[in-house]
Amino acid sequence: MTIEQKLSILTDSAKYDVSCSSSGSVRTLDFGGVGSVGNGGICHAYSADGRCISLLKILLTNYCLYDCAYCVNRISNDIRRAAFTPEEVAELTINFYRRNMIEGLFLSSGIITSEDHTMRLILKTLQLLRHSYGFNGYVHVKLIPGASEELIIQTAALADRVSSNIELPSSASLALLAPDKTREKVLQPLTMAKNYSLEHQKRPIGMSTQLIIGATPENDLDILRLSSSLYDKAMLKRVYYSAYIPINNTKNLPALTTPPPLLREHRLYQADWLIRFYGFGFEEILNEETPYLDERFDPKLSWALRNLHLFPIEINTAEREILLRIPGLGVRGVNKILKARRFRALNVYDLETMKISLKRLRYFVTVRGKLLVDHSLDYQQIQTELLLLPKPSPAAQPTLFDHFYPTVMGEL
Amino acid sequence: MILWEYDGSFEGFLSLVHKSYALKTIPDTITRSQNSGTLLDESIWIETDPFNSEKVAASLQKYFSKEAIERLMHAFLCDDVNPERDILLYIRIGFKSAEYLNDLAHPTIYAIHGYQRRVLSTLHKMNAYLRFEELEDKTLYAKIEPPRNVLPLMGAHFCKRLRGEPFIIHDRLRSLALWFREGEMKIESVEGYTNPESSPNEKKFRHLWKTFFDHVAIESRKNPSLQRSHVPLKYRIYMSEFFISP
Ligand code: SF4
Repeated sequence: MTIEQKLSILTDSAKYDVSCSSSGSVRTLDFGGVGSVGNGGICHAYSADGRCISLLKILLTNYCLYDCAYCVNRISNDIRRAAFTPEEVAELTINFYRRNMIEGLFLSSGIITSEDHTMRLILKTLQLLRHSYGFNGYVHVKLIPGASEELIIQTAALADRVSSNIELPSSASLALLAPDKTREKVLQPLTMAKNYSLEHQKRPIGMSTQLIIGATPENDLDILRLSSSLYDKAMLKRVYYSAYIPINNTKNLPALTTPPPLLREHRLYQADWLIRFYGFGFEEILNEETPYLDERFDPKLSWALRNLHLFPIEINTAEREILLRIPGLGVRGVNKILKARRFRALNVYDLETMKISLKRLRYFVTVRGKLLVDHSLDYQQIQTELLLLPKPSPAAQPTLFDHFYPTVMGEL
Repeated sequence: MILWEYDGSFEGFLSLVHKSYALKTIPDTITRSQNSGTLLDESIWIETDPFNSEKVAASLQKYFSKEAIERLMHAFLCDDVNPERDILLYIRIGFKSAEYLNDLAHPTIYAIHGYQRRVLSTLHKMNAYLRFEELEDKTLYAKIEPPRNVLPLMGAHFCKRLRGEPFIIHDRLRSLALWFREGEMKIESVEGYTNPESSPNEKKFRHLWKTFFDHVAIESRKNPSLQRSHVPLKYRIYMSEFFISP
């Protein structure tokens, strides 16, 4: 099989996974040769579906011993299989990197021969890149649950980011659909890597996981509760959400014709963003009465609509954390206001000069003590008016939020 | 209507700032032109004067924050508009009081921030979308046509990224080339141009890249307009994935 054929097969089987995660990593290792990792990931291209291409994201192999119901590569599927050698992956990576096509490698794999064997091949690839090529760019690899601690640690020592995907948000769903996996087993290699990293590295290694959305019955509250505990307790850096795209015909999964819940995925990313960067707790965003995110409004706006008693807020005096909670103001807008109001009490005209849109803002603020709307407006009325606003451009793109420049992009 | 012209260099612009103070005049329009010969009738030619530009540069360094100097230099590279008059006003505000320069609600200052933002966004795109090809002698070579003059800002990023490998970035719109070789970097104007020979590996890796690029897209989520908003057509000229056939 030619390398080109392998590349097409192993790109195809890796793509249903969230990818551009090269952001926010700070370099801790130095291997002497080509490459550097800056603070912001760079998207070197955008594929035809409009997603950021930042990493060479491929599988080492799509052969797999397991039989996870939701996965194309499960052993019971009859598909074309291929396997790269570690040498081939290293050569592709270095050549794409030098031509400025990628920032690095995201290598995942099916389980071939055994867990240890698979982990060893991934480790070999990393060793070639780091030691033979002196490659200093970003590398994210999957850790293989069930592989020996020794191999896991050696791999983690050479990678920028490691991950192990929980995939299904509850143990019951895992037992039903991925009988070879349990949450504990999946998280175990991350625990090993974390312990090693805390002891031996200046900065803890970046770790992430992924949850599939819409394959199983968990609601958004279940999902955000799980993410919050993964951030707090398991010290994960990112949780990715992936709208389930039906691939296999299985009785316990949505039918092949079910469209992937892209908007739901998008709302979850926004809520996740509020939790990580805007100081929200998941209980503020959802509760037992409203366990799903509102698809019509972004989560910050829904939160504000449910808490109208906290508004209006005075633009000229409110603290930073309070300003950040106003719908229509993102980090960038808040920074502009904080800077400019040192010189004068801002008026509406000043906000316009700074290109801060009043479209949504006006329901929630006062400017120099003055309301911008007739505030006999009630919840119903604001909601109706907001729904009449023109829709922002195609928003159902999840990866827009999964992006570099968190401060610039995090505008809710 | 007072019209000033100068040679378009940064030194030239600083000489013009000096002139503005000397004559106690703020021109209504400032334009760049290559030489004084093409002067419009009513306009005044401001000659570049190394002595005066040094003087202005020294006072900028004395009174302005590093951030403010960087901001006006970035704004200066925004050559798809004429940012000079606003930069002149910005400098005059700063010499009154450097503190005023933080007043984002002032239209001139907001404008300068806007020029800087546009230049940095072009820089960011260019750093990402530039593609090197490997030449016969292993030098990496890239052609670019950036909508704003960002070449002077690109060297640092690629030195760091390529860690000492020699490279050339060629701005074909402005006929400028940035060279990096044996630890030294320089920008030169390029006179003639012949397409250099690529290394024998080049074709193979372009095709492999194309294969990856095509296969990574999810068919059911195709969205050309989103793709175009991220990678505007003017950046695609040298991105082989958009024009070679699979
Ligand atoms: S182990 Fe991974 S590759 Fe194998 S079937 Fe399960 S999800 Fe797919």
